[in-house]
Formats: sequence, C-alpha cells, structure tokens
Amino acid sequence: MARVPFRRNRSAGYDVVLEAGEAAVLTRLCEELTTLLSGDDEPSDPSDPSDPSDPVLERLFPRAYLDPTEEEAEADWQRLVHDDLVDGRRRALATVEGTLAAAEVRRGRFELTLSEEQAQAWLAVLNDARLALGTRLEVTEDLDLSGLDPDDPDTAPYAVYWWLGVLEESLIDVLSG
Amino acid sequence: MGALETPTVVDPEVDETVETARPWVVVVWNDPVNLMSYVVYVFQKLFGYSREKATKLMLDVHHKGKAAVSSGNREQAETDVSRLHAHGLWATMERD
Repeated sequence: MARVPFRRNRSAGYDVVLEAGEAAVLTRLCEELTTLLSGDDEPSDPSDPSDPSDPVLERLFPRAYLDPTEEEAEADWQRLVHDDLVDGRRRALATVEGTLAAAEVRRGRFELTLSEEQAQAWLAVLNDARLALGTRLEVTEDLDLSGLDPDDPDTAPYAVYWWLGVLEESLIDVLSG
Repeated sequence: MGALETPTVVDPEVDETVETARPWVVVVWNDPVNLMSYVVYVFQKLFGYSREKATKLMLDVHHKGKAAVSSGNREQAETDVSRLHAHGLWATMERD
C-alpha cells in the first residue's frame, strides 16, 4: 500500500483519508464491537462453568490474577474495574463512529481531521478491532498475509485484519513522531 | 509529585508491618495480534519509559513470552493491570 493513511497536520491534529469502502468496513466493525460490549454488562463469573464466555471478551477483558488462590481478589478487582473498562471502550467506539459520520466526503473519499483525543480513541478502536478479529480468526505469529486477494470471500477477513494493521501502524507512527 | 510534599516521618514499628516495598509485579504476556510498535507506544505512554527501555521490554515479551513491566503494592499493580487491559495488552500480576 503506497498511501500513508494518517498524517500529522499543522494544527496539532491528524488527517486521514479513507475510501468509502474502508469507512464502511470501519463503521461495521464499530457496530459489531459495540454489540459485543452491550452483551457484557454483567461481569462473567469465572467460577461458573455454565457461563459461556466469548473468546473475544476473554481477550479484551482478561484476568488480573493467574493464581487460583487469589480468586477473591480477582472477583473484587473485576467488580472495581470491569464497568470502567467497558465504558472506556464504548466511549472510544462512539468517538470513532462520530468522526466517521462527520467526515467530509469528497469524490467518494472520506476526509477526517482528528484531535489528539480523537486520535487516541481511533488507536484504541483499531487495536480492539484487530484483537477481536485476530481472536476470531485464531491468528498466530506465523500468519503470512502476503498475496491475499481482497476479493476472495474466504480470505476477506484476513485482508481486513491486515489492512487494520496498516492503518494502526500508520497512526502509531504519527502519534509517536 | 515530590517537591511540595511534607516529609513524612515513618514510625519504624509501623513500617515493620508493611510487607516489602514492591511485593507485586505486573507481567505482560506475548500475544500474536498486538503490533510491536503498539506495545512500545503503550509502555511509553503508561509508564513514561524511554523508547529504549520500552523497546527492550517489548522485545523481552516477544522473545521470552513475557516481561515484568512494573511493580508495587497490590493496589498499584491492580491499577497498572487495568490500564494495560484498557489498552488491549494481556497483563497479569503476581507476587514477586
């Protein structure tokens, strides 16, 4: 991909231009993540084997304690932070959806200007979307994404996963610079 | 931070009841999804580490499977774990 998606602008913000199809994919991913989080209002009970946990939710909200003798501390900690962690992710998703909805569309391309705070929300959402998709696809570190055909329905999710990585890498680059 | 705080006198008898100063360590585990550049960025952002230190920790996570990224009392470690989870890193805490 020759195009660098994110650029720092002259007013301490960040510009990004997306194709209409790319904006549509991001909007859909935001909706899916929001739906996933809305089913997670109640913290799951790790001691209840009948509680079916979604592997994506387990990845987004892991345990703090591995030691099984710390089960009480784990439950206390979950009670303390879980709702805040869910809310933080929801707020970031709402920010990204809001900036996409407010984008200026020129010749079918979405032009966005993000503040530092909005760019941080984008980073969080891009990373969460990769975590969710990567978990669903059960990706490994050996995953080779070269030579993917974006029009092949079987490999389309992998192409989206790869593209999210390109976007995220570009955003990290401008945020670090 | 520091400069404006009144120095506190620590009663040695009370101090003895405190465990060790940093009894909990926060461990970040390797995962196949998070970008290396992202992990470095998060370590710098959350802990104020230099790029060099953050990169070394990221490489430890990548090559050794995990790295201890911070330590403190239980409450401090729980806070760091939740901040790392908010950023999508796979972190746990354990006694040092």
